[in-house]
Amino acid sequence: MNTRSLSFRLVTWYAGLLTIVFVTLGALTFLLVRHNLEGNLLETQNRRAQQIADTLVAAVARTGEGAVPYQIEDLYSPEANDRFIRVTRDDGHLLYASGTPKDHSFDPAVVAPAAWRGPVEFKRKETIPGSDLLIAAVPHSVGGRRYLVEVGVSGSRVEEVLSEFLIMLAVGLPVAVFVAVAGGFMLVRRSLEPVDRLARKAEDITQHNLSDRLPEMRTGDELERLSTSLNLMISRLEEAVQTSKRFLADASHELRTPLTVLQGELESLAQRPQQPVEMAERLGSLLEETTRLSGIVEGLLALSRLDAGEAQAEWVEFDLAELAATTADQMCLLAEDKDITVTCEAARGITVKGDRARLKQVIVNLLDNAIKYTGRGGSVKLQISRQNGDAVLDVVDNGVGIPAESLPHVFKRFFRVDDSRSREQGGAGLGLSIVKSICTAHGAQVEVSSKPGEGSRFRIRQPLAAETPAHSHS
Amino acid sequence: MRMLLVEDEKKLADLIERALKAERYAVDVANDGLAGWEMADSYDYDLVILDLMLPGLSGTEVLRRIRGKNDQVPILILTALDATDEKVRNFERGADDYLTKPFAFAELIVRVKSLLRRGPVTRSTVLRVGDLEIDRLSQQVRRAGKRIELTAKEYGLLEYLATNPGRVFSRTMIIEHVWDQSFEGLTNIVDVYVRHLRSKVDDPYPTKLIRTVRGVGYSLGEAGE
Repeated sequence: MNTRSLSFRLVTWYAGLLTIVFVTLGALTFLLVRHNLEGNLLETQNRRAQQIADTLVAAVARTGEGAVPYQIEDLYSPEANDRFIRVTRDDGHLLYASGTPKDHSFDPAVVAPAAWRGPVEFKRKETIPGSDLLIAAVPHSVGGRRYLVEVGVSGSRVEEVLSEFLIMLAVGLPVAVFVAVAGGFMLVRRSLEPVDRLARKAEDITQHNLSDRLPEMRTGDELERLSTSLNLMISRLEEAVQTSKRFLADASHELRTPLTVLQGELESLAQRPQQPVEMAERLGSLLEETTRLSGIVEGLLALSRLDAGEAQAEWVEFDLAELAATTADQMCLLAEDKDITVTCEAARGITVKGDRARLKQVIVNLLDNAIKYTGRGGSVKLQISRQNGDAVLDVVDNGVGIPAESLPHVFKRFFRVDDSRSREQGGAGLGLSIVKSICTAHGAQVEVSSKPGEGSRFRIRQPLAAETPAHSHS
Repeated sequence: MRMLLVEDEKKLADLIERALKAERYAVDVANDGLAGWEMADSYDYDLVILDLMLPGLSGTEVLRRIRGKNDQVPILILTALDATDEKVRNFERGADDYLTKPFAFAELIVRVKSLLRRGPVTRSTVLRVGDLEIDRLSQQVRRAGKRIELTAKEYGLLEYLATNPGRVFSRTMIIEHVWDQSFEGLTNIVDVYVRHLRSKVDDPYPTKLIRTVRGVGYSLGEAGE
């Protein structure tokens, strides 16, 4: 599961918050229940103590102090009812103290004696071994003497209720959180499912099918707005792409037609027999310029097409090393003509994906460039290797090199390192721009490093088509 | 041989007409798509040369209509567009050949000739130019009876020039035929190969067969041919 996904994050947050809320609520309820239960219990004890004080203790003058224990035993039978009852006189004399209760929930002997000093604690909770004792105390004055009636009960029953409540919370809370999370997850998934569909469709849309649209969400919510705005964006893209295509078509037509006429007229003149040598020379010179102009127009149009991201003619997997070797072979005579040795070192099984013809153009342009700017007897190396999942193509020469200040500009259109030198080589200054544009269209990077007088290295780095181990490639 | 040229650029149409007439073909010219279709519909032409960007009726539509009626006549498309998928689409619609502007007229003529020749004519296995003999089957070249060793590319170049002796082939034509489009713009490669070819085919002999036409290209043939 993707932990960065919106649904995972939403549900995690939601589960966390829900747990905090449930735990807080449970704790508050627990405290409230405990407070109420103990309060109620104490209230009952208090009433009972008041009763004893009002009836039995008030009658002490008449019945005598000795009657109190019998009456209490008789009326309240504290041991049988698991109660604690104690009546103390203000001089510390114990009138009555109940014995060990039937259920042995507490030991009455360890209860602290009634304190006469200080204010009377009317309700208190006494912690004794075995259990908590909730005790209510009521003072009563009869005939100049003061008596304290204490009635208590074990808190164990409250504890029982509370522990049951705790168990309920401990079981119920996780179940509630689980149910809520599962429900929430389903809800989130359901509401995000259209986003998934949108994303999948959007991934399918490339420049080739810009007329396609994303599915319309008729949900009336934010997703509908999203799908509508995405569709509007695709419309604008489609329009922009079409405008640039139309411009290219128009420009091609407007530039190429006059060039055809120019070239045709000149050709028919140049091929006319028996004309003065000077005339033939001039026509030839004109034709050469026309050819050069055509070359520049072609180069510029090719660049615009690449920049407009026009569809690649083909997109196939092929062996880069094999392409490089055949290309180098086809150009070797060009190098031999200048006594330049061209070597090709290629690792096996390096396949890349792309437009074969255009990538070949890259190699042709780089090799041509290297041969052009390497002096007689020099050498040009073509190396193909594999580096961190990339196919790397190097064209290394030991020619004139490129001065450091020109390096950042070599891929710019019409840029020439040295005007006089390259003009006589017949370059229009577009070759490397085309290399760069083709590489960009293929998601490849092109770098150059050079030392004047020592040579240059052009490096193209392109992701491998697939990680094919060299041994499995035949 | 009668052919129809559908081209809206007046100057270009004149030029092509003149070039074709110089080759002794009869040429009818239509300056828009509709006229082109009407003429193609009324006469039986041996070849149609069709521009794609036409007023009235688009070249693609004219192509579709002609093919709907007649699937025999060869059709050569002229276009200023070079998108490859466009090319493929037009071949699917029934175009026989495709020429992208700007083109050398030499190339137009070669294409026209090869389209007209298509069909029953068998290509001879031995090409002869002067005392030069090219055997296409064994790919062997002899001059004055003496064997000449050529590399594959040199042979390809020589054979291509020999298909039309006396005709001038532009460097672009040679590159597209002997190499491939990736080498376009690299015209000096042709010059280098021609120089090598000359050193083997022409230098040892008094009569030179390979001729340079400055600014245009190269041709093969005896002087005065």
